[in-house]
Amino acid sequence: MRSSKSSALKWLALGVVLYGVVPWLLGDSYVMSLTVAAMVIGGIALAWSLLSNLGGMLSFGHSAFFGVGAYVSALLTMRAGVGVLPAMLMGGVGAVVASVAMLPVLRLRGVYFALAILAYSVIFRVLATQWESVTGGSAGLASIPTFPRVLGMDLASRRGSYLLILTLLILFALVYRYIRASHYGMALRAMHGSEDATRVVGVNSILLKALMLFTSAFMTGVIGAYNAHEINFLNPDYAFDGIWVILPVVAAIFGGYRTITGPVVGAVVVYLVDQLIFKSLIPVGHQLILGALLVAMIIYSPGGLVPLVSKKFFAGASSPRP
Amino acid sequence: MLKLEDLTVRFGGLTAVNSVSLSVGTHEIMGLVGPNGAGKTTLFNAISGLVRPSSGRILFDSENIVRSPLHRRARMGIGRTFQVPQPMQGLTVRENLIVAQRFGAGRVDDARLDEILQLTNLSDKAECEAATQLALTELKALEVAKALVTEPKLLMLDEVLAGLETSGKQRFMLMLKALHARFALGILVIEHDIETVSNFCDRVAVLEYGELIANGTPADVFKDPRVIKSYTGAEHA
Amino acid sequence: MTDLILQSLYSGILQGGLYALIGLGLALVFGTMNVINFAHGELVLLAAYMAYMVEAHLGVNPIFAIPVALVLVCLCSALIYGLLSLVRVDRELNSLILTYGVAVILTNAILFIWSADPHSTGSDWLQGAVVFGPLFSMRGQVLFFIVAVILLAGLWWWLSRSWYGRALRAVSSNRAAAQLMGINPRATEIISFLIAGILASFAGVAIFSYQVIQPASGESLTIKAFIITVLAGMGSIPGVLIGGILLGLAEALTATLGSSAWQELVGMVLFLLVLFFMPNGLFGVKARRG
Repeated sequence: MRSSKSSALKWLALGVVLYGVVPWLLGDSYVMSLTVAAMVIGGIALAWSLLSNLGGMLSFGHSAFFGVGAYVSALLTMRAGVGVLPAMLMGGVGAVVASVAMLPVLRLRGVYFALAILAYSVIFRVLATQWESVTGGSAGLASIPTFPRVLGMDLASRRGSYLLILTLLILFALVYRYIRASHYGMALRAMHGSEDATRVVGVNSILLKALMLFTSAFMTGVIGAYNAHEINFLNPDYAFDGIWVILPVVAAIFGGYRTITGPVVGAVVVYLVDQLIFKSLIPVGHQLILGALLVAMIIYSPGGLVPLVSKKFFAGASSPRP
Repeated sequence: MLKLEDLTVRFGGLTAVNSVSLSVGTHEIMGLVGPNGAGKTTLFNAISGLVRPSSGRILFDSENIVRSPLHRRARMGIGRTFQVPQPMQGLTVRENLIVAQRFGAGRVDDARLDEILQLTNLSDKAECEAATQLALTELKALEVAKALVTEPKLLMLDEVLAGLETSGKQRFMLMLKALHARFALGILVIEHDIETVSNFCDRVAVLEYGELIANGTPADVFKDPRVIKSYTGAEHA
Repeated sequence: MTDLILQSLYSGILQGGLYALIGLGLALVFGTMNVINFAHGELVLLAAYMAYMVEAHLGVNPIFAIPVALVLVCLCSALIYGLLSLVRVDRELNSLILTYGVAVILTNAILFIWSADPHSTGSDWLQGAVVFGPLFSMRGQVLFFIVAVILLAGLWWWLSRSWYGRALRAVSSNRAAAQLMGINPRATEIISFLIAGILASFAGVAIFSYQVIQPASGESLTIKAFIITVLAGMGSIPGVLIGGILLGLAEALTATLGSSAWQELVGMVLFLLVLFFMPNGLFGVKARRG
């Protein structure tokens, strides 16, 4: 067991690296914008992992929350004059509201839930395309407002948007960690084996699952909103694209979805490799390699590849839990 | 404390429990016996909430709980064990109890938790992983412990002695007696062993093909000709 | 207006036969192995592209692609089964993720090889009109509806008579017990996958015969197949046919009375409604209570 002082020092060092060294190194470069995009995937992967691993509900429809969050936030800033940062939060809330429609599916077996949520994402995409008066239809929305200046820092710059999403990810990771370490986390883990055994001792398993759904939806919605304001453009095919499903899934599994930092690290690695290497190998259809990677991982290393490495560096939060 | 009124449970064409009425008093130990397939576990499932009855009422402290969800019944004071132990996977014995106590009793009381660990002979196994590192007797003890920490008024034990050999059974019975004396509990127990039931229970109810055919003290019930016929004729059923 | 609705119903039924064909393949595998083959739609699509290739490069009626499609698709199907049997941990969910990965591979392979351009048949024979009174349809539609019904009926008959059929039902209801009785679950599983491949091949060629194909179609076909599986409930082939027809009718009516844009939606909504209110499907054998 490492001493808490040495652990604290490690986290401090990491903080300095992430908040100081990285922005200084990468500045406003193209690599920085790639990193930011990777972190968006990381955020979804984190939220997905919260629902799938902790909550025990595999989801193929997180694009639904992503898209809803994006649209809600974009529309609030464009039509209702709401500030960007509050609108992002409202995007998260919008995604939670959307997830309420998914509550009835919670009591179903894993496979049905995964596909039901996929069905939802299709429904939302079609709604976004058809509801032209509000969402701008298939043409979408352009010139979505970007981030403001906060504390003298222009969050719209690449460096600034990096810091914003970094902060979001850290907050989400802390929330995840808190839940997992709490009694709720214990109950959720117990529910994986036998839900009835937990209900019989008083655990309201449906409520817990619902809370996990809402939390995951909120996080994904905020990330979706962030993305909308970052690239200043949105349309239904983009907002609800399958890439927001496959990349986070690959990332979470690659990074080891049983840990908290795993999905995020996995996202950065997988996304960068995909953009820099796979895309140049097979420009049209590079996702093929992602699919192959996913298949290989599921067969040979379902617990992920990153945990083996991270176990050596960080004891505690990163080590895989059973 | 617990009163069943004309409880009926049907699955498709099969009537598993047919118009059963019985009651369990606050401090009573009641046995539920009958041949396999008589409907005993179904009755348990109906009381604890795993199965919806087709008709009839279940009154717990005078409140009809037929519509109450599972977890609410647990919090109201109904605890049960499963015939095949279902420990919470990935958690230690202590964590199993913490979850049960936190959600079933509404708070975590370390003193009471430790006492229950001691009374169920699980103190030295507290940090072991429940699903993988316990022997059968210990798993069964854990089932009882989990139910106990939720501070139940009614403890339902489903064939908790099954699979134990004689001396194990006796030790387990002694443990249950001590628990009954220590906590103010009513106990409803499904058991096959007539001798155990006679020694342990204040009253016995006998089920056959879903129907209640006898209900009284062990002495009376086991002299009842219908009960005798059910047990000796049962091998041909 | 009535004419329009009648036409709509007629088209919907014809389409339903095709959907049933696609749905049955998925349902069969789901029933035997408890696995949703997410790549099932892609298998159908592969067969469709084979039909396109045969027509484009050999200049013949795409129907002649059926043998080619059968070989390729069944091969892929067997491959997928092979991959699935390598999954050890958390089988149900990991299998789903695995077939999802395979689906991504196939969709993108199709995209890579044939690009995103949509294709459909140029065959006059297949597109020729077949008219019954006020009801209009294309020859391809009618032909493949009949093929679908024959295949479904044949399979139904075979499953209820053959040893394999009984083994299949045994394995899907209780794998361990079936093994104890000397049934080799792996044999029934791989046969299910092959049958699914055969059905997918016919369905794929059918789709090319009177619809437009493009790489993205794979996913929506899988989803529709799953919708039908859920609609039908477990263990019922007639249920699959009726489920397929229901979906076909719902889509056709939506396109006629609403707009074709909502068509995509109606299947999803139907799916969710059934999940909420009738999780055993319309005709399914009721799941045993615990």
